[in-house]
Amino acid sequence: MAGGGGGGESGEPEFQIAPMIDVLLVLLIFFMSITSAEVLKVDKKITLPISAHAKKRDPEMSKHEIAINIRWDSKQNQSLLLVDDIAYPAIADLIPYLKERRAKDDRLRAVIRGDKLLPAIEVQRVMNLVGEGGIADISFAASNK
Amino acid sequence: MSRHSKRKQSGEVNLGFQIAPMIDVVFVIMLYFMVMAGAVQVENAHNTKLPGTVATETDTPMPDEIAVRIEDDGQVYLNDDPLDTPEAKQLPEFANNLKQLHDSSTASKSEVLVTIYANELARYERVVDVLDALSRAEISNVTFQAGSPE
Repeated sequence: MAGGGGGGESGEPEFQIAPMIDVLLVLLIFFMSITSAEVLKVDKKITLPISAHAKKRDPEMSKHEIAINIRWDSKQNQSLLLVDDIAYPAIADLIPYLKERRAKDDRLRAVIRGDKLLPAIEVQRVMNLVGEGGIADISFAASNK
Repeated sequence: MSRHSKRKQSGEVNLGFQIAPMIDVVFVIMLYFMVMAGAVQVENAHNTKLPGTVATETDTPMPDEIAVRIEDDGQVYLNDDPLDTPEAKQLPEFANNLKQLHDSSTASKSEVLVTIYANELARYERVVDVLDALSRAEISNVTFQAGSPE
């Protein structure tokens, strides 16, 4: 039979298993990559506030970003600052690290990831720290849903 | 001799590659990732700059400054005028006022600068609500100030 791919000798189209597996694997890899890429960024202990109109983060800036996580314990009314998986109970200890990172990268941006229940004063304290660390470019992380 | 018989026995067991169960597994994994992809939370951001001294070669025009105050209970004030309720997450009235201010400043070729005064116990979520409304009104000049505007 002319022109038909996968046609058998009888002229009937046959089901080809090999290309189907190819397509399935490509789809599988696609979905694996998009899910894992986003899940890695989420700290489960922080519930980000929702903002539908926040801007998408620039992929080019991702290597210039430093995430400053601020957890909030409602029971004890206490916040905890975490940067690169290191907790800073005394938040002023973070300043030398921020200065060091800023010295290495002129385009460094501080991404403040605060819990939605966090009092504004805690965010302002962290903003002061970021300023003392020499970083002027900041952004506030928010979830899309 | 005994080795030979073992090989013969193992050869009788069908260890060939089974395509049907593999497709089943791949389908299940793919469905899992498809469903998970829909539930993924995307992390976005509101960008701003901290105030500081930046050298410029040209004169900087003084922008029209607007004060936004956020009370502890979530009530939002625009230049001392209360707008919306503390429960209104979308802040429609506030966003409309900002949009009008933005349009009028664009018409007069001036810039709008919004300063957010958040009370100490105001929730960070409410601050982000205000930033969201500012994004809707296309206002990007935003600064923060601790304490009240007075």
